[in-house]
Amino acid sequence: MRNAFTSTIAAAVLTLAPIAAAGQVRDVPRTPDGKPNLQGIWQALNTAAWDIQDHSARLGVPAGQGVVVGNEIPYQPWALVKKQENFANRLTADPETKGFLPGVPRIMYMPFPFQIFQTPGQVNIAFEYARGIRIIHTNGTPHLRGPINWWVGDSRGRWDGDTLVVDVVHFTDQTWFDRAGNFHSEALHLVERYTLDGPDHLRYEVTIEDPKVFTRPWQMSMIFYRRKEPNVRLLDYEPWLLMTEEQAARERGKAAN
Amino acid sequence: MKPRCAIALICLAVIVAVTPRIIAQAPVLTEAAGCPPEPLAFHTCALQKAKTFNPPRTSNGRPNLQGHWRSLLTQAFSVEGVPADDPLIKDPIMPWHAAPPEVIDPPDRKIPYQPWAAAIGRRGVNFRQYVDPRTTCSTAGIPRLALQDASQIVQPPTDDDVLWHHEDHHVYRVIAMGDRPPAGAAIKTWNGLSRGRWDGNTLAIDTTNFNGYTWIDDSGNFYSDTAHLTERLTLIDANTIHYEVTFEDPKVYTRPWRVAWPLRRIMEPGFEIIEEACIEGERSLEDIRQQGGYRFYFGESWRGR
Repeated sequence: MRNAFTSTIAAAVLTLAPIAAAGQVRDVPRTPDGKPNLQGIWQALNTAAWDIQDHSARLGVPAGQGVVVGNEIPYQPWALVKKQENFANRLTADPETKGFLPGVPRIMYMPFPFQIFQTPGQVNIAFEYARGIRIIHTNGTPHLRGPINWWVGDSRGRWDGDTLVVDVVHFTDQTWFDRAGNFHSEALHLVERYTLDGPDHLRYEVTIEDPKVFTRPWQMSMIFYRRKEPNVRLLDYEPWLLMTEEQAARERGKAAN
Repeated sequence: MKPRCAIALICLAVIVAVTPRIIAQAPVLTEAAGCPPEPLAFHTCALQKAKTFNPPRTSNGRPNLQGHWRSLLTQAFSVEGVPADDPLIKDPIMPWHAAPPEVIDPPDRKIPYQPWAAAIGRRGVNFRQYVDPRTTCSTAGIPRLALQDASQIVQPPTDDDVLWHHEDHHVYRVIAMGDRPPAGAAIKTWNGLSRGRWDGNTLAIDTTNFNGYTWIDDSGNFYSDTAHLTERLTLIDANTIHYEVTFEDPKVYTRPWRVAWPLRRIMEPGFEIIEEACIEGERSLEDIRQQGGYRFYFGESWRGR
């Protein structure tokens, strides 16, 4: 089963390649070793944080065109039922409400900026949201031996021409894809492709494989935009600590009465 | 005494719950770069070494601070040191270790608190009444982060921003390089907002915009949201950084003061920083808080001063 999926995912990645090739631009900034320089502060400007699929406006939710290629997510029958339950219970069931790390790829398109740091052996992504941080090892090392349940997984990358290709495994089953209840298991396997599409646009294409939940691999595609305000920098948004601070304020209020 | 043990327990519980790799932090007082381990003696020696050491450089000519680092010489119990007859050394749950002070200035090796603040820090009100904020899975705060577990300095060869990534609770700091306009004073953050510059072979980091919610050490020593910290990182041999921090906070202290200690390169082949998801594994904070009657900190003890 795993082999069948691996070959399917390879085919899927190949079919994405023409998109990347068409988007390749001559004038991208480069690091001293000649790789595209992905460094800077970036942010998604879509509505994937609310719902990765096409959706109408709901109260507090902007209408949006989805980021899922073809818009269909190939859930197994039981998983489609589970997704619908998640959606119905989303205001309390969404792991985001606990203030935990939101997982990958969800952390990539939360409505907060992130910053990329790039050296020859490593690409690091630091997220304003929940103090998240990903280390993408690009020094040729293999994945650590599992099973490991990490909230942002284990990322190993390599350069395919001007595209950074990242393989991510070792996830938990405790994270979702969005606020609409789309979910995965701990068997989640991602192949991400990061391609500069000009100096200020970073194309992000991710192939999602999870044989426990889906019938076949599927893809998301979106653009990250460079934040160009001259004073822009990452601040902090730590949901769990903000909830704790509110709890502390309530306790002080009670003590005062 | 009993409540403090409770806090130690929760610390242990959280760490055991979430950390696949546990490193016993016994006090290892060894030479660093041929300098003695006692912080003031190390500091004096390191300043001399820095005058002659020509550090390895990145491709753009900056001193190369890249790599994994750990403080081996010191402890986070108290930057004012732990005397040999301290009762906490015999604590059955989490015994402290006797240790020299990391404070190198002023000469009495004590934090120059204003009187009201001395009653709060130094195992005063903070220690007795509040949960150590690190126990709530927040950042350990500057400079305690540099005493706690492994860290990695990621220094791009392009003069872009520097990343200092600490394994403890997956805390990172962005050291903004270049001439970015400063952030407004109303913006308060857990680790502050840092701006770096090269002063000769030293990476000098200025940090402001703190929320004042972190502690300097496990004794509840503290600064407020008006603090300005200056860190200096200088290679004194290929595997040792002289780390020095100056604290300024006129609201809390009577004068600026400094700590210093060595950071040693982690030489273990293939070493990687791994995910320590503290918040996500936290199970016992509320129980312990109720048993000990501790309050959440969030700067409550200094607010309004």
